[in-house]
Amino acid sequence: MLGFSVLILLPLLTALFCYLIKNLRVQYSISVFVGFLHLTLTFIVFLGLYHIQLPTFFSFDSLSKLFLLILSNVYFWVVLVSNTYLKRHVTSKAQEGKKYYFLLLNFYLASNSAAMLSDHFGMYWVTVEMTTLSVAPLIYYYRNEEALEAMWKYLFVVSVGIAFAFIGILFLTLSANGTSLQGKQLFFWEFIRSAKELNPIWLKASFIFIFVGLSTKIGIAPMHSGDIDATSNAPSPIAALMSGSLRLTALIGVMRIFEIIIPTSSYEFARTILIIGGLLSLFTAFVFMFKVNNYKRMLAYSSVEHLGLITLGIATGGIAFVGAMYHAIYNAITKIVLFLSAGNIHSKFKTREVEKVKNVMNILPKTGWLFLLAFLAISGIPPFGIFFSEIKIFEGIFFLDNPLLLAFVMIFLLFIFINMGKIFFMMLYKKEENETTTTQFEGFDIIHLVSILLLIILVAIAVSSPDVIYQNILNVAKDFGITLK
Amino acid sequence: MENVLSILFSLSLFYVSVTSRVKGYVAVLRFQGLILSVLVLLPFLKNFSIFGIILPITLLLVKVILIPSYINKIILDLDIKRVIEPTIQQIVFLLLVIATMIVIFISSSVIAQSTELNVIPFASGFSAIAIGIYIIIFRKKLIVHVCGFLVLENGIFLFGTAVASELPMMIELGVLLDVFVVVFLMGIALNKIRSTFEGFEVTDLGRLKD
Amino acid sequence: MDILQGIISVLIILGFAPLFIGLVNKQKAKLTGRIGAPILQPYYELQRLFKKETINANTSSFISRFSPLLNFVSLITAAAMLPVGFWKPLISFNGDIILFAYILGLSRFFQILAAMDIGSSFEGMGAAREATFALFAEPIFFFTIGSISFISGYTSLFDIYHSIQLDNISYEVFIVICSISVFMLAVTECSRMPVDDPNTHLELTMIHEVMILDNSGLDLFLYQYSSYIKLFIYTILEISFFYPFSQQSYLVGILIFVFGSLVLSLALAVVETITSRYKMKNIPQYLLFATAIGILNLLIYTFTK
Repeated sequence: MLGFSVLILLPLLTALFCYLIKNLRVQYSISVFVGFLHLTLTFIVFLGLYHIQLPTFFSFDSLSKLFLLILSNVYFWVVLVSNTYLKRHVTSKAQEGKKYYFLLLNFYLASNSAAMLSDHFGMYWVTVEMTTLSVAPLIYYYRNEEALEAMWKYLFVVSVGIAFAFIGILFLTLSANGTSLQGKQLFFWEFIRSAKELNPIWLKASFIFIFVGLSTKIGIAPMHSGDIDATSNAPSPIAALMSGSLRLTALIGVMRIFEIIIPTSSYEFARTILIIGGLLSLFTAFVFMFKVNNYKRMLAYSSVEHLGLITLGIATGGIAFVGAMYHAIYNAITKIVLFLSAGNIHSKFKTREVEKVKNVMNILPKTGWLFLLAFLAISGIPPFGIFFSEIKIFEGIFFLDNPLLLAFVMIFLLFIFINMGKIFFMMLYKKEENETTTTQFEGFDIIHLVSILLLIILVAIAVSSPDVIYQNILNVAKDFGITLK
Repeated sequence: MENVLSILFSLSLFYVSVTSRVKGYVAVLRFQGLILSVLVLLPFLKNFSIFGIILPITLLLVKVILIPSYINKIILDLDIKRVIEPTIQQIVFLLLVIATMIVIFISSSVIAQSTELNVIPFASGFSAIAIGIYIIIFRKKLIVHVCGFLVLENGIFLFGTAVASELPMMIELGVLLDVFVVVFLMGIALNKIRSTFEGFEVTDLGRLKD
Repeated sequence: MDILQGIISVLIILGFAPLFIGLVNKQKAKLTGRIGAPILQPYYELQRLFKKETINANTSSFISRFSPLLNFVSLITAAAMLPVGFWKPLISFNGDIILFAYILGLSRFFQILAAMDIGSSFEGMGAAREATFALFAEPIFFFTIGSISFISGYTSLFDIYHSIQLDNISYEVFIVICSISVFMLAVTECSRMPVDDPNTHLELTMIHEVMILDNSGLDLFLYQYSSYIKLFIYTILEISFFYPFSQQSYLVGILIFVFGSLVLSLALAVVETITSRYKMKNIPQYLLFATAIGILNLLIYTFTK
């Protein structure tokens, strides 16, 4: 019961507490504390030092352990820097809304942990919808027209999408008709155990509905629009939270249904759909990178790209699956640094348009360097982790005996890299004519510290590749029926 | 009895596709909520238990009383014009609805030959899902979009009873709560949209583009 | 015996049709707070028209002369096919629902022809409207009555009504649904309120009334009388759903007949009081709505058996 209370109940109670106590500093401290507790416990559980008993509808397996750690990690750093963001000047309207910030953040943590840990499709659905509800008001943090529109679209698109996922869940019930599962509850593990008995037609229908519905939340093309709007207009910590963890929460649902499908005859079908989804996401990112003129939108498209890559890796299986899991870790960490730096730039230049941001390297030297490093990291330059995970994914695709697929993926990634690089270097180095090149002083605050720490962690994981993580990922792969030679 | 209720549900779908009043939509939501509550109540009439009565009552409270009253309140507070402003002619919309329902009914009866399910609730529920989406696509007003979303949700609920999936009550309640909070948040957003955009139509939301 | 009962049925329809209209008008007046004309007023009207001289327009041809009579005769034929109470109608054979529909169609056809024959653009406009809406109204009849015919497996009005069992609950719901669409059909065919306003004489909004604007005397008498009969035919079509055919007794039959007529007249009056006329462009969708109900009925029965 201790684990359950720390992971889910404590954040809920903190949310309640934040509702009662209006003082932002107190809210901040207790939220950081809860986040830290959450991270510590998740880490201990991940290391396998402590085994947690969870009530019905919730359980741990290797996949939820890994994703929960990613979530907990992202959440902790985001909460840590939140105070700095809250201190920044905003319109008086937005000032009003600040008192709900930590409340929603804690609620987000509770619902998201519950979604990751749930082992019942119904419970998963309810909690995933709750994460949408908790994040939607946070998107509206700046209280301006764009944020409002983004919030409306996100709320609407995702709600409809999740409703579709519910239809998929009902189809799953239908697929169990006439098998030993009929009339039983929708537990993941029960379905996985007797997946072969399920009716293939309903299973396929169920997979399509769940995948399409949840891809509004994952941000897989062509359902990515609401997600892009939301990520690009939310305040930077929230954007980092969404890119790093919220998308994975939705992805875990797709992975569960995929796990059910793997031993059945519908496997090829599901796999094709996942590959198409992943490739389409890469293609969307590839197309929009040419014309995007808003750097936060660019980062959002980059998220679409990387989630597409992860989906592709999961679908490919084998070594690519391992790569995809690593990719999820690295992408989450890198996205925090990117969004936090973007947030710094935004607060200095007061604009999100690429053309109006110039000479960041001299005006904000520290942020500029971090931004550059994070860009190198997200583009897969060694020694940053994404390089290694992408290599693994490519290797998996290469052994798929479909060279054309790999060629397409490579071309898309290359052009995304070129276009992103163009935007980054324009922002960082391009100067006005007759502008002085003297470097201005930029204060060192917690955001820079967090960014540096995260980059170090990123490199450390990539270089040392801890056995714990590798073993865990292997366990996940084993659950998915993948054995590595 | 389930069939009878589902047919009434389908009738309400026809009404929702011809009416041109926002009030009509709210009335239909109330009506559908009532039908669903009765549908959930039916099994408990046979073997009555205090515990089992919670879900029908909550359903009644949320879908018949709270949500419709809340939407009515929004309409009143924001002084939204009472006509729905469709993007296509109503008659075309109705024809589309009829065609969709024919397809859905025929395909459900084909499906029912191989799978065990209740055809009429299944087909009615599925039709409601389709019509909810049509409403979202072919109407301009945002408040009507919310109604379309709720019609879709009601359809899913009916559909769920048709495939005889019995989710635990805690989860059913959670679903209801989620739906209510979604509508609540959408209401708040509409409130803000009114003060920011001076309009309630999709065409007003066009700022975010590449 | 059957023939005698059939003849009596037709006489009942002919006799009570004006009374029903009077009833509707009286209740409508009451609901809107007026005293209203006496219930027997339609009889006086008919009497007055009967006495007057018939004048036809100079431009009109033989069609104008015989169409009122043809109209009247075809409605009487239709009335003769309708079962009143438990009695077998005068004309009854397999497939008579088609004849019933097209006899009514024939009367409308000649009315439209006659309206155009007069040569006034005004009547022509009314004729065009009538034809347009008839196009949408016809599927209602076929989908509603057709679906019941499908369900029962009979194709004669009398047999169809006799096959209805009121003890089956899902049957009851279908009857209620069908009666909704028959009610809408009646409103349309008889040019009552949401579709057409029988009381206005405003050129922009008239549909039915405008077609008989240039008729007088005996011709007008025939037209009016046949429109009364038409409404009553649809009323009986609707009431017949509710006879408990399993237990036949005169008392029950008469009671349901009287009670049903009263309820329907009240329903018509209420509808006419609380609704306003639809815009001309909204009428097709109103009619399509009724068709949709019929289609739903058909779908449910065909694909769930």
